[in-house]
Amino acid sequence: MNTLKGTKTSLAFVAKIVHIALEAIVKNRNRSFLTTLGIIIGVAAVIMTISAGEGARLEIEKQIEGLGVNMVMIRAKQEPRGGIVVRVGKPITVKDYEMLQQNAVWINRVSPVVGLGVRVISPWGNKNSFVYGVSDQHFDIMALQVISGEGFTLADVKAAKKVCLIGETIREELFPNLDPIGQEVRINTVPFTIIGLLEEQGQFMGQDQDDMVVAPYTTVVNRLYGDVNFNSMLASAIAEDHVEDAKQETIALLRESHKLLPDEPDDFEVMTQLELMEITGQITGILTILLAAIASISLLVGGIGIMNIMLVSVTERTREIGIRLALGARESDILTQFLIEAVALSAAGGVVGIGLGVLGNFLIYKFTGFFIPTSYTSIVIGFGFSAMIGVGFGYFPARKAARLNPIDALHYE
Amino acid sequence: MAAPNVIEVKKLSRIFRNGDIEVHALKDVDLVIGPGEFVAIMGASGSGKSTLLSILGCLDKPTTGEYFLDGVHVTGLDKNELADVRNQKIGFIFQSYNLLPRTTALENVGLPLVYNRSSLFGNPREIATKALQQVGLGDRLHHKPNQMSGGQQQRVAIARALVNDPAIILADEATGNLDSKASIEIAELFVRLNDAGKTIIMITHEPDIAQYAKRIVTFRDGIIAADQTVAQRTPVHLPTSNKTI
Repeated sequence: MNTLKGTKTSLAFVAKIVHIALEAIVKNRNRSFLTTLGIIIGVAAVIMTISAGEGARLEIEKQIEGLGVNMVMIRAKQEPRGGIVVRVGKPITVKDYEMLQQNAVWINRVSPVVGLGVRVISPWGNKNSFVYGVSDQHFDIMALQVISGEGFTLADVKAAKKVCLIGETIREELFPNLDPIGQEVRINTVPFTIIGLLEEQGQFMGQDQDDMVVAPYTTVVNRLYGDVNFNSMLASAIAEDHVEDAKQETIALLRESHKLLPDEPDDFEVMTQLELMEITGQITGILTILLAAIASISLLVGGIGIMNIMLVSVTERTREIGIRLALGARESDILTQFLIEAVALSAAGGVVGIGLGVLGNFLIYKFTGFFIPTSYTSIVIGFGFSAMIGVGFGYFPARKAARLNPIDALHYE
Repeated sequence: MAAPNVIEVKKLSRIFRNGDIEVHALKDVDLVIGPGEFVAIMGASGSGKSTLLSILGCLDKPTTGEYFLDGVHVTGLDKNELADVRNQKIGFIFQSYNLLPRTTALENVGLPLVYNRSSLFGNPREIATKALQQVGLGDRLHHKPNQMSGGQQQRVAIARALVNDPAIILADEATGNLDSKASIEIAELFVRLNDAGKTIIMITHEPDIAQYAKRIVTFRDGIIAADQTVAQRTPVHLPTSNKTI
């Protein structure tokens, strides 16, 4: 068509369209702001919720690892019967304990664990708490640090001495502003001498790990429990590589100790650290899914916000498109403009949303001490989805309008 | 060779379909308009005059028929080529101005330059300023549509129509929304543009305004009912040397 002066799309021409798009964003401040706000909220909400789930998982994993990676847990078989969990197998006894102590080669430490709820009383206060009867090796198995005073010895255990160590919560409530070492505390009716204070451990899956008393299992069994059997035992493998060997060996020794016939099933449970982690991993996995569901709802809400403002402005924008078409814009010029507008708004909203999400995580850490590492997945999901909605609802109505006859776009109502 | 006709349409028809109903807005219209003409199109509502103007302005497509604009066979063009024709060969003026809101007069007038793929040379700002001065709005460059009167807005629209130096100016009831004083100002502006060599087609309902044109084409029921030269044109009172042109 030689009578037209120029029909080629040059780079400088595209630059003009980019300029037009950015100008349109600035000119329609309210619309731009509302669109961006939808994206900001969506992205920030997704980042915070997904990160919280990931953070919880990491925290729990860290705590389990803190228990000691070589740990092997042994307990009597339990099953729910009529709504309550009861022991169905033989109890774990001193005989089992001695069997492991004397014969196990892959295990270097083992401790019975007798736990029961008690009332702890000092001259300054009293509270309900838990007492754990363990052996002297328990501290090493659990990597439990004694920060003041000292742990008990094998001699203390053998003599069933009335000594104990207390957690920080007990110290705070029963010995406010006092050094508890050497003090006497009554557990139910039995007086114990406090010989050590345990390192603060915080919460583990919602339980205060500092609200407890640790005493020799012999003393607990004889004086408090009234039953010579244990709830469970903890052991540690000689090395991380041999945890599975330790588990198999424990099973074999306990079967022997319980005099089980080859065709009888185990009447106890042995679980390694890794297996515990897998189970809690499933729990936190559910938690993450739950949080992700909440996040999707916030995304949806944000998305609907973006969608609304885009659709509300469609009439005005269709007329605008009609004007531009009438003045000689090609369909591709209109699409380029609207695509740039949508991408720029989504990108701006995304960046601010990411910033807000990270800031939110930081504030949670600052005020609650719960560290939430910002998950990259959440950034990708949040930004990707919001941008998709923003671009989709900015671009497709524009494409529809740009394909109309200019006269129809001008008369659109 | 004589200058080609600016507009030449042959057997132009436009049928609108609304469900089962077919409306024949234009029926086999033939029309030739030469360079330098100033044509007023009149007719009742629904007579087809606006449909014709939309087709002449490449805003709509005829159902059948041929359309040549400034030597270009328009009915054979694709979408992009039509956009370039609208941009470079046509200046369209609407009854409702159709200016972009929240956008200054200068930016509105500069819009056709943005989409002009040939005018990357030249200073768009300067060209737009000149066009606004031409319509007497040299002191309203940075006003937005909502800061201007209807007459002023329409003059911005006229400046926008002029800015790419088109072959033809098409005005669809350009004075329809204006009071009589502003209407006369716009009509006189058209006369002066025509005197300066622009070919103009304007639709109007007002016989007074039509009397500014050189030729009146009357439509009825989709066909041309009358086509006559204006014997007694309304004289333009302002001297043509007025600084607004």
